[in-house]
Amino acid sequence: MSSPQAPLWRSIAVFRFASLAYTAVLLGLRPQYYERWGWAWAVFALMVAWTAVSTAGYAVPARRTPVLFGADLALTAAAVLSTSVLQTPQALQLGVMPVTATWLAGPALTWAVAGGVRWGAAAAIVLGGCTVLLREPLGGKYQNTTLDGPVILLMAAMLVGYVARLTTRAEQAMQRAAELEAASRERERLARRIHDSVLQVLAMVQRRGAEAGGEAAEIGRLAGQQEAALRTLISGDGAAAVPAGERDLSGVLTGEASDLVSVITPADPVLLDQHAVAETTAAVRAAIDNVRQHCGATAKAWVLVDDEGGAVSVTIRDDGPGIRPGRLDEAAAEGRLGVSQSITGRMRDLGGGADIASTPGSGTEVRLRVPRDRPKVSP
Amino acid sequence: MTEAAPPAPRVMVVDDHPMWRDSVSRDLGEAGCHVVAAVGEGAQAVRIAPSVRPDVVVLDLQLPDISGLEVTRGLQASCPDARVLILSASGEHRDVLDSVKAGATGYILKSASRSEFLDAVRRTAAGDPVFSPGLAGLVLGEFRRLAADPDPAPDIPRLTDREAEVLRMVGTGMTYKQIAERLVLSHRTVQNHVQNTLHKLQLHNRVDLVRYAIEHGLDSPAPGSRP
Repeated sequence: MSSPQAPLWRSIAVFRFASLAYTAVLLGLRPQYYERWGWAWAVFALMVAWTAVSTAGYAVPARRTPVLFGADLALTAAAVLSTSVLQTPQALQLGVMPVTATWLAGPALTWAVAGGVRWGAAAAIVLGGCTVLLREPLGGKYQNTTLDGPVILLMAAMLVGYVARLTTRAEQAMQRAAELEAASRERERLARRIHDSVLQVLAMVQRRGAEAGGEAAEIGRLAGQQEAALRTLISGDGAAAVPAGERDLSGVLTGEASDLVSVITPADPVLLDQHAVAETTAAVRAAIDNVRQHCGATAKAWVLVDDEGGAVSVTIRDDGPGIRPGRLDEAAAEGRLGVSQSITGRMRDLGGGADIASTPGSGTEVRLRVPRDRPKVSP
Repeated sequence: MTEAAPPAPRVMVVDDHPMWRDSVSRDLGEAGCHVVAAVGEGAQAVRIAPSVRPDVVVLDLQLPDISGLEVTRGLQASCPDARVLILSASGEHRDVLDSVKAGATGYILKSASRSEFLDAVRRTAAGDPVFSPGLAGLVLGEFRRLAADPDPAPDIPRLTDREAEVLRMVGTGMTYKQIAERLVLSHRTVQNHVQNTLHKLQLHNRVDLVRYAIEHGLDSPAPGSRP
């Protein structure tokens, strides 16, 4: 994977070579500014050599060491300062560009890309300082324009440093997004694979176990439980978008399914507000607990979700012996309010209701109704 | 297949999982069914069905090449006498519903016991739809969905109150016998109510497909398309 800053390094290399060409043009056109024109060309040759060496160095991340950055800055600064002995006093006084011309910006840019705003600014100040030194102390004179170059250099270095940090951060964000996407795709792939293999085997174990009876039946039952749990796990998260504050009652109730409890739902999600889903689920759990308590550990139960449009009904039926008529009222009178409170009470709070009916020969049936357009009640 | 008092049903098994394919084939063989083919791909099933002439196709919906719906449609076209019994994992609600609307006559979960499964194959061979509680819930939900359409078509199928009641009972695991006792109806009447709901959906599906074809100027709907 290429570094996000690779294009920046490449553009710095382009800038340095372009600057060399500009320097050559200035040198060739203005021999009159130079006392030692020949030596100026010698310095130029060194600049060419160093540009080649440093570009090769910066091109490889492993070679971007402090030594390279230090040498780059030192050599460039020296080349700038050499101007004081190469140019004529008049040229220095006029504030002619140093022998390095725009090439001197190189280290400020490389420091900025590598180290950010502060390091870029530091290098720019060193190089800008050198151009200022060329003036008064070394024979020149301060002018209104003396600080223009250094300030532009400083701003450019800081801007490049900022942009370099920005690209790094953008790249990291993009990479995180790509990782997330890859993870979810991998998850989907795994889900498919699990479906095709593990779930099939679990379903088979359940089937064979039930036929064999005895201990094998227990193993089969456990396999069935795991199959239901695993299926809920892999199908649950990929659910379609659900409006804020709502949940799919079918999906939540499917989590209650086991080898003894079948949850029967429509193909499409049954959306209710979160509170109603939580309360209905709690009521369904209470009803299933009742089945366990009164009909034994092997009684089967069915939970049917029926979305009638204006209301949602959930029917819980067991294949137990049924409840003797009047038994529930007796329980309430004895102060044992389990069924009444956890089922009927919850439904009444939702603006709906619960009917409990029992027919000999077809078990007990609890029917919960949750209206969709119920008046808002404070919790 | 015209003689012999209860002719052994000819069954084709379509399941991409070898373990299930072998196990189901073995169970069917032991129970006296004639397993005419056991294949792992949908396209292959559609292709060979006309030559092996199955009475019942036991179909898993999770196939590597084409969807269960496409297999059901393909079989209806290539081998109209074959009845499709879906033997599939739970959690494939849409697929099951689409296949049933396209003409599959039964749905049974893979977690069902061997005897339940063999019974389902026999009933399918006899032409009775196999209405598991899960299928009843899906069919009931589909009628609810069609009724809730804000812009309903004039010929939208509706459930009678009695049909809705029966479907809800099937959906909570009651047998036809239990339902017949509860509602004081004959077993046959209960069965008719259940079959009616399925026929209404299948008919509506065909009408829908024809309307779609006319609206889009097609001679035949493209496979897999749904209006």
